[in-house]
Amino acid sequence: MDSELIQQIRNQARDLLESGAVKGIIGYERASDGLTARPFFAYEPDAVERLIFDETCTHNLVKYLVDKKGERMAILAKPCDSRALNLLINEEQIKRDQVFIIGVYCPGVVETSWNQKGQTQQPRCQTCQLLKPVVYDFLAGQEPARQPEAEVYSDIEEIESMPTAERRAFWLEHLGRCIRCYACRQVCPGCYCPECFAEQLDPAWVGIRIAPEENELWQTIRTLHLAGRCIGCNECERACPVDIPLSRLNRKLEKQVAQLFEFRAGLSPDEQPPFATFNKEERLGSEE
Amino acid sequence: MNLLMSRDDLVRWLQLLLQERILLAPMRVQGLVLFQPVSKVEDITFDFANTTLPPKVWFLPPTETLFSVRSCDGHTELVPATVEQQAVIFGVRPCDAKGITLMDSPFLEEPGDALYRERRAKTTLIGLSCRQAQPECFCTSVGSAPNDPSNVDILLTEIEDGYVVQVVTEQGKALLPQGLAEAGAAPPAPPEPQAVPTEGIVPAMQMLFNQPYWERLAERCLHCNVCAYVCPTCYCFDVRDYPNKGNIERVRSWESCQSPGFTRIAGGYNPRGTKGGRLRQRFYHKLLYFPGQFQEIACVGCGRCVKACPVNIDIREIISDLQQLGAKSG
Repeated sequence: MDSELIQQIRNQARDLLESGAVKGIIGYERASDGLTARPFFAYEPDAVERLIFDETCTHNLVKYLVDKKGERMAILAKPCDSRALNLLINEEQIKRDQVFIIGVYCPGVVETSWNQKGQTQQPRCQTCQLLKPVVYDFLAGQEPARQPEAEVYSDIEEIESMPTAERRAFWLEHLGRCIRCYACRQVCPGCYCPECFAEQLDPAWVGIRIAPEENELWQTIRTLHLAGRCIGCNECERACPVDIPLSRLNRKLEKQVAQLFEFRAGLSPDEQPPFATFNKEERLGSEE
Repeated sequence: MNLLMSRDDLVRWLQLLLQERILLAPMRVQGLVLFQPVSKVEDITFDFANTTLPPKVWFLPPTETLFSVRSCDGHTELVPATVEQQAVIFGVRPCDAKGITLMDSPFLEEPGDALYRERRAKTTLIGLSCRQAQPECFCTSVGSAPNDPSNVDILLTEIEDGYVVQVVTEQGKALLPQGLAEAGAAPPAPPEPQAVPTEGIVPAMQMLFNQPYWERLAERCLHCNVCAYVCPTCYCFDVRDYPNKGNIERVRSWESCQSPGFTRIAGGYNPRGTKGGRLRQRFYHKLLYFPGQFQEIACVGCGRCVKACPVNIDIREIISDLQQLGAKSG
């Protein structure tokens, strides 16, 4: 743990709470395993002593702001998480002046699960192009000395190169395991509909059967709703209790949107996502 | 009386069982361990801590058809679903077996659930004692033990050169092969899981319904259904009719009190509309309502929810918090 960085975060958090600038801080504290991190809400100045930051702070906390509408909150944001802030500001789910963003320089996070901490950085960190948050009010830490690797999408190309039948079998096998717990949706900063299509009864877009065909429909629509909106925090894959490689679905669309529209979600609060705009001149298909 | 079974004996026995009935056993699927129907004994994994999903997947499957309604020549017929085949589940951990016994109360008490009753009657449980306690589990604090034989038909405990076999029920006895030798020595001592004291938790719950604790805890909760779906004692479900060309299929699927829409009623009103109310419900059901109705806490200490929660909502910590809050309120 970088104790200087943590002290910076705690001092800033304490100032914000003591001055009454915010009602609460959304950050991380040590989890019950004594090893990894978990989200933490601090409301009293002394509670900031529980705040931590290290390579196990993989959670994207931005989702929690959706429940805090109308309250001034401070939030800890890694560079990747900060893209979700822009997404939600752009989509008018949060107001920029209601949020105090404590940005952190991030050396990269590792895969974690309860009582387990990976030794190497997550793949998404290795190709992360952001050295610092894209939006912040205060920046903690020091710029890491690292050269980001170029994004190559080799995981996506591997699937693209499969024959159709094999690709279908691949996804049916993985989605056949889905138990429709909706952890992927609940953890996603881009999924905030008060009523999800999956639970709408009229029209009933998708049924309640926890079975391959309906699971596939659920995941397909969920993924499409994130086209041009997924900011790549990979929380969905981390939260999935049955290890469905959801990043491959999201990254496929990320790749497609980047090719078609030269757009990456959440880099700016002002740039409209491709599916929120319509240009008469636009033509369909990547080859045209 | 305890018997002895070699590893080869076990493989031969399982081979025999799977020819006669459906055999479910732990299998490695990607990084998970799941109870799945076995076609080859070689696919079974014997070396596992516990399965990712509990054996409730057999008794209350994620999805099942309850009955169909068919129309034919102006005549309407109701066709209930039935369970044809006998089944054996191999490798049930004692905590999970207790989970099944706990589920029996709501599902078998009159009016019982016909499909559950039928599956239960036609299924034999072969338990497997735990050789190691896991950091997340606490069965001995909630009325079970790593070698507890009381909720299975046969319990196997691994020893150096095979398994000690405890025959628990007649149903189990009927399944065993003939000619097993008597075990000379007693099975080895069980591992010791950590203690999570639960004394006084039920009366404490009676005082804590309006504590701000619940809203605070629920801030972190994502309100997904992971904890409920991996839980051996969570048994809520949703029911929906699937019409198809004049016929109807009535289907039930897992659902949980953590879903925002779980208690929404006609007209759109939701009597349990807050996040805190939903999270509280899960713990009140386990630690107050279930014990009130069936005299036991609805937690078997398997620790699956501890491991699977994406944001570390930890039932062990919550039980301890509630005891402290209860002591203050009392």
